[in-house]
Amino acid sequence: MDAVILLEKCLWFGLAATGFAILFNVPSRTLLPVFILGAVGGITKVILIDYFHINIIIATFCGSSIIGILSIPFAHKRHAPPPTFAIPAIIPMVPGVLAYKMMQGLIYIASGDANPALISETVTHGLKVMFILMSLAAGVELPMLITRKQSAKELRFKKTYKKEEH
Amino acid sequence: MSNFPMSKDAKELGATLLEMSMLLMVSGASAGRVRNTIDRVSNGFGYTADLLISQRTIIISVYNPDGHCVFNSFKRTQPHHINFTTVSEISRISWEVVENKWTIYELHEAVEKLKSGTHYPRLLVLAFTALAGASFCRLLSGQPIDMAFVFLGTFIGLFVRQEAMRLRFNFYLCVYFAALTSSLITGALVHFDQNINHEIALVTSILFLIPGIPLINAFSDMIEGNLQNGLIRGLHGFIISFTIALGLFTSIAIYRF
Repeated sequence: MDAVILLEKCLWFGLAATGFAILFNVPSRTLLPVFILGAVGGITKVILIDYFHINIIIATFCGSSIIGILSIPFAHKRHAPPPTFAIPAIIPMVPGVLAYKMMQGLIYIASGDANPALISETVTHGLKVMFILMSLAAGVELPMLITRKQSAKELRFKKTYKKEEH
Repeated sequence: MSNFPMSKDAKELGATLLEMSMLLMVSGASAGRVRNTIDRVSNGFGYTADLLISQRTIIISVYNPDGHCVFNSFKRTQPHHINFTTVSEISRISWEVVENKWTIYELHEAVEKLKSGTHYPRLLVLAFTALAGASFCRLLSGQPIDMAFVFLGTFIGLFVRQEAMRLRFNFYLCVYFAALTSSLITGALVHFDQNINHEIALVTSILFLIPGIPLINAFSDMIEGNLQNGLIRGLHGFIISFTIALGLFTSIAIYRF
């Protein structure tokens, strides 16, 4: 039963990522990888939160790191820079609902309803949005940050090197 | 600034580099990516280039192998419009220069050709973005009826944004119109069917407007030390979010939830 629910979530994560990829006008050869990356990243986050009860910020970081790492081999295969895959794929993880709640809170506070519970809730939502966005950006950049390379083209895995020598 | 005469080659290279950096910037590349690409291309021709990148203007200086400044110019960027095909094509072109020893003329031709650009059919873009909205709704445990309304709301909302952009309204105003339209459509469901809580439809119908790329690029820029670019992008993203909220609250005020 759980597997079915997870698979269904994969599908929706993938579709959300692909929809945004088309909105951002990515080359059509990258659409399938974006679907896969979106599904894998999103489901990683969901599994970490639901089954391992990990904080949403760390779970998002794990999900986006996986997307960042997987975007490198896809970039080599499909000849497009890694962000072309990674950015549409992490869009489903952008905390839209939290951002909405933060804005809602800000507007209520501005209109005079400034009770402490509302203020603390709004601040919590805002900080979560900020840290989630930070972990998304850091996760996507992770392979570049660790290998200290400027371009994904210099970042080849061992296998590909051997193939090229033959 | 030296008075070293601008050769025709240097002038053409400089102008093309400026065009490339402008295209990258408006298509949604981070400042670091713009700088890397321009470095790669100019080094491929034996020149070096220095850039000052801001949200609306780019300044470039090109130096020849002897270290003389041979080109100096700046350019206002067009309105930002995310286009990852442009980003990916410019990356390919930059590697062609390095690996296949393109001439400046070939580079210029390729960049000019890029500007005509290919787009997905409008209906496809509308349909898939609407599907993405419906997916968000499902992920937040929306029911089929919610998904249908979110699909419709996103479809028409995006259409309104495109049309408003075409009529050259202020960018934030375009976002406001779109948010208002989408939330009016899904708000109707919340308003007229009060037996079940449909708030999730209302929230997810405006998610297609969430400024994901400005916000993510804001942090990518900051990680790379381009703090100014990052701050400006972050502020831009924040204003968009605020505009979306305004649109949403206008329709909440109309329906008096």
